[in-house]
Amino acid sequence: MTNCENIRDSIGRWLDGELPPSESAAVQAHVATCAECAEARRQLESLQRALTGVLVADPAPIEFMPFWREVQRRINLKRAWYEDISEWAREFFTAPRVAWSVPVAIVLLLAVFSLDSYFPGNPFGGSRNSFASVESIDAYGRSVALLRENESKTTVIWLYQNEEGEDETGEDGAKSGPTF
Amino acid sequence: MKLAKMAPSLALLFSLSLIAQQDFAGAAEKNPQSVQVTIRTILAENKNDEFDAKLKGMEQQLKSLKYRSYRSLKDDTKSVPWQGTQSFDIPGGRTLTVMPQEFQDNRISLKVRLTQGDKPVVDTTVKIANKGNFILGGPPHDGGTLVLSISAAAQ
Repeated sequence: MTNCENIRDSIGRWLDGELPPSESAAVQAHVATCAECAEARRQLESLQRALTGVLVADPAPIEFMPFWREVQRRINLKRAWYEDISEWAREFFTAPRVAWSVPVAIVLLLAVFSLDSYFPGNPFGGSRNSFASVESIDAYGRSVALLRENESKTTVIWLYQNEEGEDETGEDGAKSGPTF
Repeated sequence: MKLAKMAPSLALLFSLSLIAQQDFAGAAEKNPQSVQVTIRTILAENKNDEFDAKLKGMEQQLKSLKYRSYRSLKDDTKSVPWQGTQSFDIPGGRTLTVMPQEFQDNRISLKVRLTQGDKPVVDTTVKIANKGNFILGGPPHDGGTLVLSISAAAQ
């Protein structure tokens, strides 16, 4: 390594005042006589000046007051009714709730439709007709009454005995007529 | 935590299995092998105000007949094949013959014949809801009136 190369390596530390006095004096003496090293010194000094100018520049002051005023205004702002509804709907129909509501709805529907098969005649059994329907009837000359009782959904076929009392002689229970 | 995330999917799977099970049960119900017929014989009277505790489940149905007392005389349950015939003994030398005709739309069509000795009393065909019943009443017996509850359940 030549003497100039050694000096150029030390110029930076010399400018920063980091060299011991003996080395500092040697570098100073060389730079004063060597045009190339003097040019290197000049470039380093101009770079140092530019960096110092950037680093110590004063930043423009930030105005925080308008920012906080806007935050305060938004906090105090009264929301419109439709915004409340849309927020509620957004929360209500989020994925986990919908995922739960589908099986719950299915289970409820199945329960309602199955109720009638397990508990016939229950009041929640739907519109299924639980009345018995009489398709044909032959009482061999006797009078017959057909009663449909709405409350208990009951169909009653009532046989009136003839005047001769042929069924059970001496029994007058039927002669007294129907007791609907 | 993982289980909690999977819970909705598991619930959905469970529901789908319920639907499948319901369909399977429905298919089985569409082709019943026989009918379980139950004849409940009741004596209705106006002598006192006694209501047989055995008839608790039929209280509302019997109320429509407006008798003062109801007493259960006998209960008889028999399995009857489709298009088959089964006879039930009814007090007073009577016989009730039941013939299940068809099962459609969860309703059972029953042909019912009541005879006293050799004499026919009534011959009727009635369509009732599966596990439902109807009432046949009027024949006199023992100072009162016989009320027959005829119910049927597809098996």
